Amino acid sequence: MLKIKVLLIEDDTTLNNYLTDLLTKSGYIVEQCFDGISGLKLAQTHQHQLILLDKMLPKLDGVSLLKSLRETSQQPVIMISAKGAEEERILGLTHGADDYVAKPFNSQELLLRIEGLLRRSQPQTQAKRQVEIAIDGLTLNAAKQQILVNNKEVEFTTIQFKLLWELISQQNKIISKADLYQIVLNKKLGAYDRSLDMHLSRVRRKLNEANWLGERLQTVHGKGYCFK
Amino acid sequence: MKRQFLWKSCLIIATGLVAFFYILSVLTLKTEEGMSFIAKSDRQQLKAWAKTAEALYLSGDKLALNQWITELKQKESTRVSIASFNIENIAGENINVDTVEAYHFGRNVDWKIHLYFEQNPIMELPFSKAKGSFLIKLPDRMRPGEYWLTTKIVLQIILPMTILIILSTWLYRHIITPLHQLEKATSAFSKGNFDVRVKKLLGNRNDELAHLAATFDQMASQIGELIASQRQLISDLSHELRTPLTRLDIAVNNFEMDNSHQHLERISRESVYIRKLVEDTLTLAWLDNEKPIIQREHVDLVDLLDVVIDDAKFEFSNRELILETPNNAIISNSSHQALCPALENIIRNALRHTPVGKKVTVKLIKQNNNYCIEVIDQGPGIATQYLDKIFRPFFRVENSREAGNESFGLGLALAKRLLNSVRANISAENHHAGGLMVLITIPIT
Repeated sequence: MLKIKVLLIEDDTTLNNYLTDLLTKSGYIVEQCFDGISGLKLAQTHQHQLILLDKMLPKLDGVSLLKSLRETSQQPVIMISAKGAEEERILGLTHGADDYVAKPFNSQELLLRIEGLLRRSQPQTQAKRQVEIAIDGLTLNAAKQQILVNNKEVEFTTIQFKLLWELISQQNKIISKADLYQIVLNKKLGAYDRSLDMHLSRVRRKLNEANWLGERLQTVHGKGYCFK
Repeated sequence: MKRQFLWKSCLIIATGLVAFFYILSVLTLKTEEGMSFIAKSDRQQLKAWAKTAEALYLSGDKLALNQWITELKQKESTRVSIASFNIENIAGENINVDTVEAYHFGRNVDWKIHLYFEQNPIMELPFSKAKGSFLIKLPDRMRPGEYWLTTKIVLQIILPMTILIILSTWLYRHIITPLHQLEKATSAFSKGNFDVRVKKLLGNRNDELAHLAATFDQMASQIGELIASQRQLISDLSHELRTPLTRLDIAVNNFEMDNSHQHLERISRESVYIRKLVEDTLTLAWLDNEKPIIQREHVDLVDLLDVVIDDAKFEFSNRELILETPNNAIISNSSHQALCPALENIIRNALRHTPVGKKVTVKLIKQNNNYCIEVIDQGPGIATQYLDKIFRPFFRVENSREAGNESFGLGLALAKRLLNSVRANISAENHHAGGLMVLITIPIT
């Protein structure tokens, strides 16, 4: 497998070296950079599969760097933020990055984020589109956006339909929250963002009300959701 | 009353000064008049001379009369004469003698003298028995108003000047004294004395400057409180960090290769704890400093509670968790990102204090324009005197130590501030059936 190139822009030398170590051990090729201006130059001239960008940088801060970069390039970016992270978490700000990690962060958490983002940024191998799925009395029709439970129509919103469709169409497979956010809500997963979970709770409720087993949409804590 | 100071200055400066100058002008006039009369002794002297003259005239001794006049003239260095009217009818009717009486050669001694005339007037003293009058140019020594110039300067310059100087000084003091006190207070405040207050130093004034002082006091008290709470937070945080850092240090120092997994786990546990502590403290500081009001979206509280309860059931599978809600509870102008961690903290807290096998009940009830969420646990409850303190950062009831290492007394403080940011309120009371009941009131719109 081709090694994945990561550009790391972080001004703290120690943290930069630690992260390089961590990423190299996990099989990535890391290009290190310690300030905003040379970081932007590198990002514009070389193609990387992923950029790890610190928000506070000397010479050019991360947010401005990302703004300039986005004019020409759509490389996936994970923003690492320290200052104002509390506010950003509660208000759900990501500054236009594809993902967002707040300092202090856990190395495992960072690796998972990187993997998830890389997976999402791969060109999707489009699964053959089914038009209708029917399982144990539950029928989903994508063309009509209609859901029938035991031949009775149950009303769902577009988002709820998409969510249920994603889960039901991949039975017994754990789908991560980040993926579901991207596919269903077309947005990035924020740290305190629970909107997807709330939609899922509502879908469960509606299925239960229609006398179908909503619990079959299972929460796999720390990973995502799975239809069994 | 608004614009106290304007009214005060209107009263003093406009009304007061007009009245003052009016009185001054009246006083000047009266004084001038009073000083315009010939002194009584001089008048008697003049009358005596007239009497002597009349007597000499009546005696017919013209020589003696002329001699007396010459002596008098020399003595008083003035002009003296004796004259009478002789009416010469030129044409028409004879005129009445009485009418003639109205005409005079000079001024009556009882009349006032115009002080602004430089020449002394001629005084006329009519004879009582004979026809004729004693006429004398008022001798200089008898001219009244000797001190008039001085008096005039005093009345028209020195007196108003003195009064105006007193008035200016008083006005200056009236304005500058509080400003000076404010300046002193500001400089004391900037030196770190946050207890300094100005309003009470100004007595019972109630004007613009008093309002300024009150505003300053309010600012001082708010900033003082803020700084005190920040200091408290920093000192608490550094105190709270000592324990996990010590544990971390020990774990690192006792690291043994052959048992590395267990040691690493311990180290990682401490690091997670420290991370959470710092994260929560910073969030708390942000919420405390900015006091944000977050209004971004509609939230269905039922869905939100479902999510929180689902997570909590997983984490505390050995306690019973009961949720009683209607099917929908949609609120607007809120934020699930603020509500969710708050509810998580409160429900986790309830579960943590509930013994294994016991239950926590969460109820969602609609009340007028609010939704109320009641979280009732079956734990030990909290002594009444601590009930309002549990929302303070780093506050711990003694027995909460038993609840495990994960709690550092920030959960409820954070929850309260998060709830405030979506205009919701929180309170706690002991449930009649034992255990603690936390009550959250969230506005629907």
